Amino acid sequence: MTKVIEARGLRKSYGRSTGHSTPALEDVSFSVAPGRIVGLIGPNGAGKTTALKAILGLTSFEGELRVLDLDPRSRRDELMRDVSFIADVAVLPGWLRVGQALELVAGVHTRFNRARAEQFLRRTDIRMRSRVRELSKGMVTQLHLALILSIDARLLVLDEPTLGLDLLYRRQFYDALLSDFFNEERTILVTTHQVEEVENLFTDVIFINHGRVVLDSSVEGLAERYVQLTVAPDKAAQARALQPFYEREVFGRVVMIFDRPANGRPADRGAADQPTPDAPPAFADLAALGEIRTPSIADLFVAKMEAA
Amino acid sequence: MNSPAVAAPRAGTTGWRAWATNNPKIRMFQTLVRREIWEHRSLWMAPLAVTALLLICALLTHGALKIDATDSSEWLDPQNKTIVFALAQWALTIPHYLVMILLLNFYLLDCLYAERKDRSILFWKSLPVTDGATVASKIFVSCVVLPLGTFALALVTDVLFTAIWNLRAAIGHAPELIVWDTVAFLKTQAVMFLGLVISVLWYAPFFGIFLLASAGLRRNVLMWVTVVPLLAAIGERIAFGTHWISSLIDYRWDGIWGSLHVETALLGSIRNVGLAEVVSIPAVYDRVHVGAAFTDIDLWLGIAFAAACAYAAARIRRYRDET
Repeated sequence: MTKVIEARGLRKSYGRSTGHSTPALEDVSFSVAPGRIVGLIGPNGAGKTTALKAILGLTSFEGELRVLDLDPRSRRDELMRDVSFIADVAVLPGWLRVGQALELVAGVHTRFNRARAEQFLRRTDIRMRSRVRELSKGMVTQLHLALILSIDARLLVLDEPTLGLDLLYRRQFYDALLSDFFNEERTILVTTHQVEEVENLFTDVIFINHGRVVLDSSVEGLAERYVQLTVAPDKAAQARALQPFYEREVFGRVVMIFDRPANGRPADRGAADQPTPDAPPAFADLAALGEIRTPSIADLFVAKMEAA
Repeated sequence: MNSPAVAAPRAGTTGWRAWATNNPKIRMFQTLVRREIWEHRSLWMAPLAVTALLLICALLTHGALKIDATDSSEWLDPQNKTIVFALAQWALTIPHYLVMILLLNFYLLDCLYAERKDRSILFWKSLPVTDGATVASKIFVSCVVLPLGTFALALVTDVLFTAIWNLRAAIGHAPELIVWDTVAFLKTQAVMFLGLVISVLWYAPFFGIFLLASAGLRRNVLMWVTVVPLLAAIGERIAFGTHWISSLIDYRWDGIWGSLHVETALLGSIRNVGLAEVVSIPAVYDRVHVGAAFTDIDLWLGIAFAAACAYAAARIRRYRDET
């Protein structure tokens, strides 16, 4: 098996029965290799959660999807032995005691390491006798994380896992994820719209908007392909000739983002391989116009969403 | 780090317990049943509260078993003591069984709905547990654990109540109304156990519909399963002048008891009190036609319908999220 997730032409619409069909996924294709941390990023309603639900076998869809070589529609039960997920921080039932949560997962999951979960919990203020409803939201997340990270899963899926948590807990969450779970055999798929905070975490990003993939790249690939130029207003016209796909003004300077195709020239909307005689200058010239750097994932995300 | 850890059986566990612990499927099912007991605490707290109340009654009340008797001395006649004993055994179980009926119905209406309401379904679905196993655990709890637990608790309560009453009678604190009779006790318990088993099987279609409603409805589950059939029956009567729906509900309500051939003697005779007409529960044991109940095709059709509802509930849960 080479890919952890292989999706081709995923389609899903809501509200067909009412006659007002709203497409959530339109011909979505992507793949995820083992040992990667992939950010599935998109604005609210972009289709991220639908894509995750498809991957987890929680919703029906059209198209081809293999997760760990299994079809989540027909073999979800097998799949869940190797996949863990946190769909939302607030979904542990309020009546559950912490000790019961450990008993439960140990009773149904053969790959759960209870001692490890207890070790996690010892680092927190969570007591075994407490009920979930008595814990703060941050503590519930710590508990959920302790349970999930103690499962020897090959794929971990996190849907907005830190929504509503304060910065301290968010940081702890991702630190624990990296130090206690991730290794080269495991894959993590995270959806979030708090991109700035986690962009250093990702090895790959997939941007999704209006049910379509608008970018699918490794983080190294982003550096090779995109460049951000900050330029003084008097040189903006020259830079604009290089066809940035996004532009904004910041403190009197103009910030532009360029998509750099393989031949080193800017994208020419379908004719990049055969530059015309009046084609704009090569990117090497950009440095002469202003300051260049690789755009952050957050900047690129905003650029892609607004350009769409 | 990250090594999988299959829980080792606890030291000292032997026999079937060790086998159950080492068998992942059995262990999973046990865990699912425990989950239900943890989540729905009323399933065991309410019956225990009933037991406690009955035992307090045994300690504190005087002559609680006087049944509108025209001549109380007639009840104390040694010849009638078996009947009185059996009736007392039967009457003492009524609170337990009433509570059980309430618990069972509300549990079934709630068990697949609550996990959607509090969104915990997303947690349960992150565990490698099939929808079929989840639904099966809920059926097992409602149709096996709860009735058997109620039967056992009612039996223990009967014995304790009788023991306390007789101790009080021995020291002159209570009338010698309930005199122990082992044969009558065993026959009464056998009749009640049989009645319980047949009830669970006969009312299975109701349970199936409740389970299905719990899995499928977005809100107002109780209203849907009560008001809608009622409105349907009234609507049918007004629109077509027929009463198929009400007849069907009525039949599923009490249709099986006729086939047992116990007549309506028991309940009717208590109302008419005259001792000559009382058919004691041990006498019911001698008359009852168990075979007739189990060969009733409607019983099995009902069970098949309930099984179809359970299958549909599991299918619905398959693609159900927190909505």
